[in-house]
Amino acid sequence: MLITTRKALHSIWMKLSSSKKNKKNPQYRAAGYKRFLLVACSFLFLFLLSACQIRTGVYIQKLENQHYRLMVEGRPYIVKGVCYNPIPIGENHEYDWWSDPAKPWIADGKLMKAMGVNTVRLYQVHENSDAVKQVIRDLYNLYGIRTLLGDWLGFWEYPCPFYGDKKFQDKVKKQVIDMVMLYKDEPGLLGWILGNENNYSCLGHVNPWSSPEIDLEPDPQKQKKMRAQIYYSFVNEISKEVHKVDPNHPVGLGNGELVGLDSANEFCQDVDFVACIIYRGKTFGNLFKSLRATFDKPVLLAEFGADSYDAYLKREDQDMQAFFLQSQWNQIYENLANNKIGEGNCIGGTVFEWTDEWWKHNPDNPEGWSVHDTEGGWSNGSYYFDIRAEKNMNMNEEWFGIVALDPELEQGINKRIPRKAYYVIREFWKNPVLKKVRGKKIY
Amino acid sequence: MKKLLVVMLALSFLVPAIAASEEKAAGPKEFVVFLDKNARDNHYIPSGWMGDYGDIKMNDQAADNPHTGTSSIQFVYSAKKSQNQGWAGVYWQNPSNNWGNKKGGFDLTGMTKLTFWARGAKGGEVIQKVMVGGIKGTYPDTASVEMGPIELTDTWKQYTVNLVGKDLSYINGGFGWTTTADLNPDGATFFMDDIKFESDPDLKPEGKKQQAMPFYIYADRSTAANHFIPSGWMGDYGDIKYDGASKEDAYLGDTCVKIMYSGKATQGARWAGIFWQNPANNWGGVDAGFDLSKATKLTFWARGAKGGERIEEFKVGGIMGEFSDSDSATIGPVILNKEWTQYTIDLKGKDMSYIIGGFAWSTNVDNNPEGATFYLDEIKFE
Repeated sequence: MLITTRKALHSIWMKLSSSKKNKKNPQYRAAGYKRFLLVACSFLFLFLLSACQIRTGVYIQKLENQHYRLMVEGRPYIVKGVCYNPIPIGENHEYDWWSDPAKPWIADGKLMKAMGVNTVRLYQVHENSDAVKQVIRDLYNLYGIRTLLGDWLGFWEYPCPFYGDKKFQDKVKKQVIDMVMLYKDEPGLLGWILGNENNYSCLGHVNPWSSPEIDLEPDPQKQKKMRAQIYYSFVNEISKEVHKVDPNHPVGLGNGELVGLDSANEFCQDVDFVACIIYRGKTFGNLFKSLRATFDKPVLLAEFGADSYDAYLKREDQDMQAFFLQSQWNQIYENLANNKIGEGNCIGGTVFEWTDEWWKHNPDNPEGWSVHDTEGGWSNGSYYFDIRAEKNMNMNEEWFGIVALDPELEQGINKRIPRKAYYVIREFWKNPVLKKVRGKKIY
Repeated sequence: MKKLLVVMLALSFLVPAIAASEEKAAGPKEFVVFLDKNARDNHYIPSGWMGDYGDIKMNDQAADNPHTGTSSIQFVYSAKKSQNQGWAGVYWQNPSNNWGNKKGGFDLTGMTKLTFWARGAKGGEVIQKVMVGGIKGTYPDTASVEMGPIELTDTWKQYTVNLVGKDLSYINGGFGWTTTADLNPDGATFFMDDIKFESDPDLKPEGKKQQAMPFYIYADRSTAANHFIPSGWMGDYGDIKYDGASKEDAYLGDTCVKIMYSGKATQGARWAGIFWQNPANNWGGVDAGFDLSKATKLTFWARGAKGGERIEEFKVGGIMGEFSDSDSATIGPVILNKEWTQYTIDLKGKDMSYIIGGFAWSTNVDNNPEGATFYLDEIKFE
């Protein structure tokens, strides 16, 4: 490009200076110089303008090798993120941390920056938009951390999310568009995530819903497909609306595992990426390859991780958590764009989660919110170190933080104590040497 | 001359010493599990009788046509299910009856394979599997390797268990076999001889070979073609009765699988199911399974006793553990017909290179409040 421009300028100069009329007249020659300078400056201006016309905002680039890359302000961006929900000890999910005068995100952001975190994922915005903007701005202005904003798409509304109902659809759609209009111009915004594990409702296992047409269908397999068609078409519609009002940020489809993505492939092509919620232990298995075959979109590991409590030996085990998390980040990096050994369709991850949440084991009992419960809440054989726990209940929902909470207050918030995983991931991000995943602990 | 004598003398000491050290460095070439009764080289005792131990008779000095020496070891398995287990087997242990509760065993580092000779009395007898190591307890074996099923011939044949790359630093269960009444409904008489560990430096680690199709999970009750064991009972396992040899209108062959689910929620889970695993009870803790990369689908036939039974899910793969299945695929819910109907789980685009959980079904009490009885047959990868 530069060589071409230089050649063009030279030829113009030659043309200007070789005019027969002006050849020997110094006055004309000076005027020629001026003209030349004018034209040259115009060329330079045009050149700089074209150089500056690099696409702004956040978008996803498909490379020639079919790999996907997230771009922010014209530069590649790997999402090195955490799911963020800083509920203090003694409170539950209803707590309005956004309005907490101690501003927990200020201390957290500092710790995050020191670790290398560049993104937080917030599941749902608070109704106080000023408070939300303050959080996004503080994280970005103070620490350069960007925010992914999500919406549950009415998944937790009672009685259940009737995705086939037009009124319900309109209400949810308006809610999402309102959110987009409010925050789309925030410089710290990275993108949108629609839903979380809502797709499981199509199977009828969680928050089951139906419609008159579905009820008429006797075959339960077809019912499942009908629900998936309705749900993914609805998300697609919202995605298109979001793109209309905000062309500068990508829209992600929150999805539990890969369940239903064959339907998403048919009905939800207008999302920019899929934000998967995956708990598969030390690896993501063939997730990246499988996505290529079923729903060829870039993937953000939007929720994954490991708890730090050994339910079998009944004691905290930070090594166990660090082992799983390092292994998971290792696989995320293997599958980033331009890495020869992976699928090239991963844009990063937001690990679950930044801090422990002490209310989760028994959300309805306020007494339990001040106790760090050690009882397993669910079972997952992929986290095999403590699978021999009683009834195989090895997953400790209150121990997923890479930062532990201490009841002691520091600057008005529970003291933060980074776990081993914090340091292990920090070092991995600094120097991401990819290792073959083996079944031994890393200590 | 004196000098020469000194050198000769020194050499006469040195040469055997070097030879001895070389021998020591190379290590022994073989380590005997069992040759003949009371053979000096025997290191393990066939003391660990398992399952329907009342169905086993052992003659450890069978003189009839031994492979080598004066005798072989004869087993007669009656398949009478004396202890209601449906299977039986024997472990060679050190010391005898050591189920991992005491220190014993041997450090067999350097050995790369176990070989043994076997023959059936008639031919066609099926050993479900043979094992090396795998005894747990306070002093667990450092390796667990299995091979099988093996269909015996009526002449002596040598079999090899590849141990390259395995940690053999503590092996108490030197060798073992199991078989089932389903595989040998009329019992089985077979002979074993010359069981030993060997060091073969040229042997390469056993990579998983891609299995040829069709690859059966269940064909008939007494066939060596069956792979995977219906061992992973889930949820309300007390609600399930399993008959792997039902003769009630099998779709093909003599028998089919009959499953009776009572829906009583015995364990309070309100659902139940069975995983066919390799090896039995492998929830991803054992590096095993099959490479079924050539499979493009799994097909099976099913029918309900009454018709209308609802099975929530039929599944391939999906076991997650230290050694997880490489993929999973499901169909369901399926409402069964009273007549045999073939179902297909599409595996195109799936990674079937490592499958521990070959097949599974699950159902629940909410959709089957009266329980459900249903039949399965001809479950196979194609």
